[in-house]
Amino acid sequence: MVTTLLFVIFAGLAIGCAIAMVAQRNPLYSAISLVGVFISLASLYVMLAAPFIAAVQVIVYAGAIMVLVIFVIMLLNVEEEERPSRRLRFLLPAAVILAAVLIAEVIFVLWSVQTSLYTPGSNVSDTGLTSSIGIGLFTTYLLPFEITSILLLMAIVGAMSLARRAGVMTVTSRVVPGAQVLAMDIADPRGVSDETPVATATTAQAARLLGVESKQDSNEQG
Amino acid sequence: MDWNNPYIHSVALLIAITVAFLTIMLLVAFTVLAERRVLAFIQGRLGPNRVGYGGILQPFADFIKTMVKEDVVPAQATKFVFLLAPMIAVITAIMTIIVYPFGPTITIPFTGWTFPLRIAQFDVALLYVLGVTSVGVYGIALAGWSSNNKYSLMGGLRSSAQMISYELSLGLSLVGVILISGTLDIYSIVEQQSGWFGLNWNILYQPLGFIIYLTSAIAETNRVPFDLPEAETELVAGFHTEYSSIKFLLFFNAEYINMITVSMLATTLFLGGWNGPGVAELPLLGVLYFFAKILFFLFLYIWLRGTLPRFRFDQLMGFGWKFLLPAAIVNIILTATAIFFRAS
Repeated sequence: MVTTLLFVIFAGLAIGCAIAMVAQRNPLYSAISLVGVFISLASLYVMLAAPFIAAVQVIVYAGAIMVLVIFVIMLLNVEEEERPSRRLRFLLPAAVILAAVLIAEVIFVLWSVQTSLYTPGSNVSDTGLTSSIGIGLFTTYLLPFEITSILLLMAIVGAMSLARRAGVMTVTSRVVPGAQVLAMDIADPRGVSDETPVATATTAQAARLLGVESKQDSNEQG
Repeated sequence: MDWNNPYIHSVALLIAITVAFLTIMLLVAFTVLAERRVLAFIQGRLGPNRVGYGGILQPFADFIKTMVKEDVVPAQATKFVFLLAPMIAVITAIMTIIVYPFGPTITIPFTGWTFPLRIAQFDVALLYVLGVTSVGVYGIALAGWSSNNKYSLMGGLRSSAQMISYELSLGLSLVGVILISGTLDIYSIVEQQSGWFGLNWNILYQPLGFIIYLTSAIAETNRVPFDLPEAETELVAGFHTEYSSIKFLLFFNAEYINMITVSMLATTLFLGGWNGPGVAELPLLGVLYFFAKILFFLFLYIWLRGTLPRFRFDQLMGFGWKFLLPAAIVNIILTATAIFFRAS
């Protein structure tokens, strides 16, 4: 009785938050609604005797990924979304068809569960407990586990290599002031292990030496 | 008494939750007072000593004063989120206390009723603590964003960056203890430390893990020397600049509750929880040991605040990522190797 009541509460919360997430125009409210979905789902996992999955769901999704999403929204100060353009209108029938398929699936699952001959046992399984998941991950499913971790590692390395493209600068490339901070020997390879002071007479000479000619200098030359 | 009877069980749980809540709230009130008095002592002042005997009623006077102040909401603030943020902060702070055992199983004299001094015991208690703590970041981040104030936003951003960074080394520093205990259930971890007249504490096997945990925990609770989010010399008051009256009180409480729960985790995982000499003969002594250890950590917090200057923000992030995180990983490798060789 209490279990049914709790299920209705959390399932309702999950669906309500999911609808709110899609319907909200403000991206921050959408993000908060998504956190609500994750936490309601975690509560449902607890009721399904899978406490480990529930805890990991909250730690990874609600506690790490969504914090980063909210971080980005805060940093970029994303404004409320405009009304969607009519460009993607042709997707509406596709959405209706997919929704119909999903509902059909749900009805089929419910019907097949109702009519099946199998009755669940009363003893609680230990499938969702930490030790059984750990044993499964490091024995039976070791290869998929390792492959998934390598996939994540690839994503990290990819992000790093994209972000560090500034490291392969040449002497002549222009630097937007304040856009990135680089060590002197990256910006100017000639500066490495050469500590002789360079004397220049004018600002223009110094600029030419450092490869940061300004527009004013070229005007003087011309 | 039949504890499996659902009605008796519910009533007992309600009583346990109320007692734990009131204990924490009183502890918060007197930590605030102790902080002001001890800081004053360190700095050669007197501190608040007028309300009640030696200032003992000062926290209640402060409470009444804060409650009757006007509740100001900035005109440009995002109202709903502005209201939601302090609630998230204080609820996530107080949710974790249900897993900490305050003492061993005790027997009430003359009636013969026995019950364990804890609210809940479950398989993933430690993960639950980490999960709830990680949700607590939202309170601060959303408060900073919704205030529509540049100092609040800077404070909120700094704070969430700091909490995300130090959560990693905090979680990893606990892995050593989990490896030794072989369980995530906090009650079992405490029970395993009861050997050697109650002095078989995990800190003996995990000294490095303990130091990493302590440092990360101070950063996680945004306290000196890691109190960058509310660095008053730069950011007015950080994320709660625009908060007043009861909402400010909620943030204030959340910070101190976090200090207490973090101390409780350190006590249960590293310092043996309620274990100590003589607990086996006199179980109520365990409660005393438990709170003595928590008070030690709280004193440490105040002591650090009185003695250490604040980090710079880049130093803070560098320290977390380049020193604490590798140190925590080294600790895991050392512990795993030791367990492997002891088993083989």
